[in-house]
Amino acid sequence: MRMILYDGPSEKRANFHPLSLSRPIWELRCGMSTLIEKLIAKIGATDVACFVEAYMADSYRAKTQMKVNDPATLAGDDLLIVNGRVKAVGFDVAATGPSEVGVTDDGEVLYARIAAADLAKLTTGGIEELLDSAKAALPTVTSELATWNYTWDLVLANPAQLTEDFKAAGRSGIEGNVEQPNAIRGSDKDVFIGSGAVIHPMVVIDAENGPVYLDEDVEVHPFTRIEGPCYVGKKSILLGAKCREGNSIGPVCRIGGEVEESIIHGHSNKYHDGFLGHAYVGEWVNLGALTTNSDLKNDYSDVSVMLDGRRPIGTGSTKVGSLIGDHTKTAIGTLLNTGSYVGAMALIMPTGKPLPKFISSFAWFLEGVVTKGFGRKKLYETAAIAMSRRKCEWTEAEKNMWEKIFEMTAPGRDEAIRRGRRRMSRS
Amino acid sequence: MPTVEQRVKEVTARVLKLNPEDIKIEHDFMSDLGAESVQSIELMAMFEEEFGIEMDEDAALSVETIGGAIKFITMVCKEQGVDV
Repeated sequence: MRMILYDGPSEKRANFHPLSLSRPIWELRCGMSTLIEKLIAKIGATDVACFVEAYMADSYRAKTQMKVNDPATLAGDDLLIVNGRVKAVGFDVAATGPSEVGVTDDGEVLYARIAAADLAKLTTGGIEELLDSAKAALPTVTSELATWNYTWDLVLANPAQLTEDFKAAGRSGIEGNVEQPNAIRGSDKDVFIGSGAVIHPMVVIDAENGPVYLDEDVEVHPFTRIEGPCYVGKKSILLGAKCREGNSIGPVCRIGGEVEESIIHGHSNKYHDGFLGHAYVGEWVNLGALTTNSDLKNDYSDVSVMLDGRRPIGTGSTKVGSLIGDHTKTAIGTLLNTGSYVGAMALIMPTGKPLPKFISSFAWFLEGVVTKGFGRKKLYETAAIAMSRRKCEWTEAEKNMWEKIFEMTAPGRDEAIRRGRRRMSRS
Repeated sequence: MPTVEQRVKEVTARVLKLNPEDIKIEHDFMSDLGAESVQSIELMAMFEEEFGIEMDEDAALSVETIGGAIKFITMVCKEQGVDV
């Protein structure tokens, strides 16, 4: 059996912007791992291939061992095709058996189990064609499988998922170096400190209300307090951080200040003081000193988020912080409103008051308005420098993907630039 | 119709809060007129609005003087079919 992941229809992927602009949905994180790691573990597949949006295929190919967008993977074996939005928890579809297509009420395919013998009846040129022909030719059932629908679903599920993942990992104990004096509250069984990790003196690890997993080569500086449940990825550094419950951090992050129930992808920095709560932060992000996001409204009402800059979407939660895309940078003292959307490759200069709730990708937000700034080439140069500092490469494939993202996100950004110019002209 | 030079000086004066008559063709935006980097972005935006053109950011931001801006904008207008 070969497992095939496909990265859902574009309109559903848009619910995960700005994070899904530059990655398939299954590369998003929740708990201690990515969604794809959970799906593969649940299904127990060893042969896995995937289909992503064409514009990100070359970039993604360099980041995965799977075959990407290869039509040959749609032939020659029984297939279990799984929509990347499907939650691993509760996935109860048998990996092999008679052909069957599971669809939602609105016709979206959540899974398709296709016996090799049935492939001859289907169109296998590409994933869309295959799924369309499978829906038409094979038995279909209405599927009740749970799905991730928005990025904030991941943030809100993170504390419970961390606890589940810690149990599943089945590791506890101290393999790294814990310098004394230190304090571990709660049960030692709820703490894992990986090999190569160094915990400086005067650190509190509080596992009273949830487990704490500090992965290999993590470094924790003095006066850091880590409350469980929490996962800190390999080679991350906590710098006197007030690391409240429910965080997934790293790998290779530098985190200071106060962070609560947030997910932070690799190579992102929040070195200094400032509060980040119920936020989802992409990779290669830098949050300047005192950058702070609100995650709770003063009237305790549900938070809404604008994913397209026009239409607020109710999250159904009173606590949602910021969604921040890859490579975005905020300057010192940036204040982000409750449920803010900050696009990818954006550069933010603060205004002294909370920023607008939607800032498009590639925006240079200066003097309170969105501008073209110094242009995207300058942003690419900065990205290349940031990556080279961590011995990573800004490739042509990466650049081509971002060029396409620039084009895709132009309408919202251009409108904001026009509004900004009108304001500039009046001032 | 005002010349490109007059329009460049008017926009520069408005953004940098100067008197247009004090602006000379040889003036450097930064060292003579005191433009900071954020203001250079504002200047570029306002030149685009004034002339109805799109400028390449790298090329536009490498222009240093009022005379250079007049020459560059005239060239871009010609390329983009804008009468000046």
